[in-house]
Amino acid sequence: FYLTPPQVNSILKANEYSFKVPEFDGKNVSSVLGFDSNQLPANAPIEDRRSAATCLQTRGMLLGVFDGHAGCACAQAVSERLFYYIAVSLLPHETLLEIENAVESGRALLPILQWHKHPNDYFSKEASKLYFNSLRTYWQELIDLNSGETTDVKEALINAFKRLDNDISLEAQVGDPNSFLNYLVLRVAFSGATACVAHVDGVDLHIANTGDSRAMLGVQEEDGSWSAVNLSYDHNAQNEHEVKRVKMEHPKSEEKSLVKQDRLLGLLMPFRAFGDVKFKWSIELQKRVVESGPDQLNDNEYTKFIPPNYHTPPYLTAEPEVIHHRLRPQDKFLVLATDGLWETMHRQDVARIVGEYLTGVHHQQPIAVGGYKVTLGQMHGLLTERRARISSVFEDQNAATHLIRHAVGNNEFGTVDHERLSKMLSLPEELARMYRDDITIIVVQFNSHVIGACQNEE
Amino acid sequence: RLAAGTTRFCAGIVSTARHVSIELKMADYSNKLYQQLEQETGVKTGYVKTGSISLAQTQDRLISLRRIASSLNVMGIPCEIITPKQVAQLHPLINIHDLVGAMYVPEDALVSSANVSLALATAASRNGVQIHERTSVSHVTVQKGRVTGVETDRGQIQCQYFVNCAGQWAYELGHSGEELINIPLHACEHFYLLTHPLKEPLANNLPTIVDPDGRIYIRNWQGGILSGGFEKNPKPLFTEGRNQLEIHNLQEDWDHFEPLLSALLRRMPDLEALQIMQLVNCPESFTPDMRCIMGESPTVRGYFVLAGMNSAGISYGGGAGKYLAEWMVNGYPSENVWPLDLKRFGTLQSSRTFLRHRVMEVMPLMCDLKVPRWDFQTGRQLRTSPLYDRLDAQGARWMEKHGFERVKYFVPPGKDLLDLDQSKTFYKPDWFDIVGSEVKCCKEAVCVIDMSSFTKFEISSTGDQALESLQYLFSNDLDVPVGHVVHTGMLNEKGGYENDCSIARLSKRSFFMISPTDQQVHCWAWLKNRLPNDSNLTMEDVTWKYTALNLIGPRAVDVLSELSYAPMTPEHFPSLFCKEMSVGYANGIRVMSITHTGEPGFMLYIPIEYALHVYNEVMNMGQKYGIRNAGYYALRSLRIEKFFAFWGQDLDAFTTPMECGREFQVKLEKGMEFVGQEALLEQKQNGVYKRFTMFILEDHDADRDLWPWWGEPIFRNGHYVGKTTSSAYSYTLERHVCLGFVHHFDEKTGEQLVVTTDFINQGEYEIDIAGQRFQAKAKLYPFSSLFTHRRRKDEVELSGCQGE
Repeated sequence: FYLTPPQVNSILKANEYSFKVPEFDGKNVSSVLGFDSNQLPANAPIEDRRSAATCLQTRGMLLGVFDGHAGCACAQAVSERLFYYIAVSLLPHETLLEIENAVESGRALLPILQWHKHPNDYFSKEASKLYFNSLRTYWQELIDLNSGETTDVKEALINAFKRLDNDISLEAQVGDPNSFLNYLVLRVAFSGATACVAHVDGVDLHIANTGDSRAMLGVQEEDGSWSAVNLSYDHNAQNEHEVKRVKMEHPKSEEKSLVKQDRLLGLLMPFRAFGDVKFKWSIELQKRVVESGPDQLNDNEYTKFIPPNYHTPPYLTAEPEVIHHRLRPQDKFLVLATDGLWETMHRQDVARIVGEYLTGVHHQQPIAVGGYKVTLGQMHGLLTERRARISSVFEDQNAATHLIRHAVGNNEFGTVDHERLSKMLSLPEELARMYRDDITIIVVQFNSHVIGACQNEE
Repeated sequence: RLAAGTTRFCAGIVSTARHVSIELKMADYSNKLYQQLEQETGVKTGYVKTGSISLAQTQDRLISLRRIASSLNVMGIPCEIITPKQVAQLHPLINIHDLVGAMYVPEDALVSSANVSLALATAASRNGVQIHERTSVSHVTVQKGRVTGVETDRGQIQCQYFVNCAGQWAYELGHSGEELINIPLHACEHFYLLTHPLKEPLANNLPTIVDPDGRIYIRNWQGGILSGGFEKNPKPLFTEGRNQLEIHNLQEDWDHFEPLLSALLRRMPDLEALQIMQLVNCPESFTPDMRCIMGESPTVRGYFVLAGMNSAGISYGGGAGKYLAEWMVNGYPSENVWPLDLKRFGTLQSSRTFLRHRVMEVMPLMCDLKVPRWDFQTGRQLRTSPLYDRLDAQGARWMEKHGFERVKYFVPPGKDLLDLDQSKTFYKPDWFDIVGSEVKCCKEAVCVIDMSSFTKFEISSTGDQALESLQYLFSNDLDVPVGHVVHTGMLNEKGGYENDCSIARLSKRSFFMISPTDQQVHCWAWLKNRLPNDSNLTMEDVTWKYTALNLIGPRAVDVLSELSYAPMTPEHFPSLFCKEMSVGYANGIRVMSITHTGEPGFMLYIPIEYALHVYNEVMNMGQKYGIRNAGYYALRSLRIEKFFAFWGQDLDAFTTPMECGREFQVKLEKGMEFVGQEALLEQKQNGVYKRFTMFILEDHDADRDLWPWWGEPIFRNGHYVGKTTSSAYSYTLERHVCLGFVHHFDEKTGEQLVVTTDFINQGEYEIDIAGQRFQAKAKLYPFSSLFTHRRRKDEVELSGCQGE
């Protein structure tokens, strides 16, 4: 069984999406040129989600990748809702008042976000009313709290993450008279999702990360080579600080049982996540909700199961770690990706592959004969080989697709091996998850000219 | 510096295998000139008569070569079509497995182009010419529309004539003075490869190979080879000006050369082991229509141009120089050079963006198959009629003339034609039936053709100046009653057609003149230079002010009379009549009872803001008469079967009205002198040396045989007597009709003799299409039975000037 190159391409390109920030008067005033994103499923259905949107009432652009586990419900909910929570957290008091007044008097609402979605990225229609009410409660509280201070992006991000996770938890506890919705909110709460979100506004880049997805900055050195700068820390057992934090939060008696086999309570890979109420609620609460819940929930062994050594919940938080970075002209791009990518590729390789892709690898040195003795035949061979190489690079119009091609198809020499690519992509559904994870990638390209100009102004 | 431009890097191939007849003549002259140059000047020119072989990988290519071979043979240039086996005998290295044939021109040659320039300069110096090298011209000074001198970095030089032959710098030099001279050309990078000698060095008389299907040429060079080509994806350069001051060898680009190198190794596989010497990159300049540019500027007298050789400078150089010299000394060259005349272009072809895009199309075309009815694809939709979108939505397919989009034909809904590339053919084209039905509709009902591209001038005066001047400049009598239309030639001193037009007398003192589309620059310059400088006499170019609709067909009368509530029958509106009237709601429409085809009908000159209204009214009203849109292909078929000559195709500055049966359009006794009168009087007395003749192909099968185009040799009783100038399929006769000129060459001396009616009528004729001869019947007058209306002979409209 063998896939032809066009078949491989159609699989790889099925979910690709590109967005270019429109230019005004020939001048692009945004520090973001645009982004490419793509996903390759291993689970069926895929449990990863992605989101991208432009804030309309404040400046800036939001981009995020979400890696779901125990189903995709939580990742889906977070991908729909989180950016609204962030945007609302960033809004000035007057705008919040205006929005609230509009809702009160039934007037048209100011648009808050402009989404940039792939046709396959969906929003659940049924839950929108419920989600909206929760969001409205949030901004009403923000209006009441009016601190009068200008909003700090870092704080806004942390508040938004925590608030959303809280709402997910509350909605599940309260339930909903509509049985479909009731089941949905429970599935959201009992599944989990990590999130890695970037907020770009001019030269200010904030990364808010919860879990083991990763943000990486691609930097072009003066000599033209590429290097990678991490803009997030993985929240998992490999991160000493994270292990220390978890241990600090619980009594010493639990120290041994907290992290087993590199997993939280021996079960969960990421140490921070949305949802996953099984690691957050008390045993009593879990039992009550499950028992009063619909039958589907009761039949599910996973939801009924209580983690071992479960003494002092919550063990899990959705609070993100936020890193602020001031963009420099040499910062050319940002890669946000779920762990599916980072398991297969080193960040240094990612930086090089994307960097070379974006600057066009036709940057190949031109050949000059000079004083060498070259025959026509040799030259011809050389040229045909160069041509073949170039054409494989230009197959992809999307940096994320190009990266996935490498992640899945790279051989030991670091070049794409079509045979390997074909084998990996033709694995049957049930086997695919053994060889690779869902991969979701967003590559954001920065406008060095705008960034340089911003720097000079300051 | 002399020969410091692209000449220095030129490949030095002198080849007479050219498609356009005037280019062929120039190349032939150059070849003969270079041959004797060394003897005359003592300067070594490196002239070697090697011959050249043009290879054909496809049958279509072979047809193309056969066509060239036919015209070379009748010019007395030896040339033969040979088999692949013969190719192998002539050249040891060629792989012949993929060839279907080839053309061998044994007298083609190689020269060193720099040395040829030197030899020419030496000869010129001996005759008193001063050459200032390393002197840069800052601009040309002009007074009262004439060249007066040249400003250089070493001072001023007075002169009456200036020739801009600055090659790829010509465009910029033309723009350097106060008076802009537009010379539309653009440079492209051109690559060729030089190698070290072979182990067994190649003989220096080995024929040059041209492999157009592989897009390459190969010549021997110092025991090795020199090979270059015209790639599909050319690299234009210097678009924004800032041309390099002195030409350098530009950056080599091997990746770009790869397809050409592959073609070379495919053609000569044994060269694999040959060592590379250098990849030369020298810019060449190209023009918007692949033909070079020569002649006098339309705006500044004494300012001549010779540039844009499309990388065939060495082949054309000698001949082009000869024609230009004749032009400057005598006022006109000895051959028809209209295809190369600077005045075929206007300012509209001088946009840098246009040139950049067009040359990217032109350069690959150097090697592409030259098929009939080919249209450029770039630089389109520049000038359009206000009806463009309406017509386009109804299936119009377009061609372009002088930047103006014109309809070829309308593809009916649900019918598909072949892709552009696949539609290239020397045989019956895929639109055959479509045009056939349009022609049928013109004959039986009524059709509307948008003919807005025509050049339209208005000439008026306060007194009789307009009439007097026009009577002098035009051969027909223009002192006709107001409201009459006159077909007339605008002749030169030798009686040849500079323009062929229709002139309507709008009032006692104003005239409306309609000429072919590409006359816009030429005719304007011709009249400007000859009209008296009188502020009471004005001439205005109103081309853009009117949309022209041609209503052709027997029911045109009905459509128009219903729309205007005016009787349009011949009794009320005789032929060759012009009247301003209302059509629909729109008033002031100039209606003329001419159709340029000999069919009944009307031309409507509509102020552009009424164009859409009038078109809609005509189409609505015409519905019950079976009206439909038609295009220029239908028009062409109609005018050719009616034996209407068309300026630029059939008529040129070397053809007089006497030679094409249009004596009735000349009024030798109109009571005043006119340009060309003397020459015509002489012809009337002594007879003509060529005669425009119509040929009907007899044993030609339109479905299976090659179609005639133009430029096919005509044979009378087995002897060559001339060439065709245009051809079309006549749907009425169900035969091909070719128009062309018949000469009478003395069988022994080759001297031209008088052509009489008897001479024409008493011959057996054959037309040679790509080497195959078809019997043809010659006629000097059109089939009268084709006319639906009988008219008096001098009323018969024999114009066709505004054909394609």
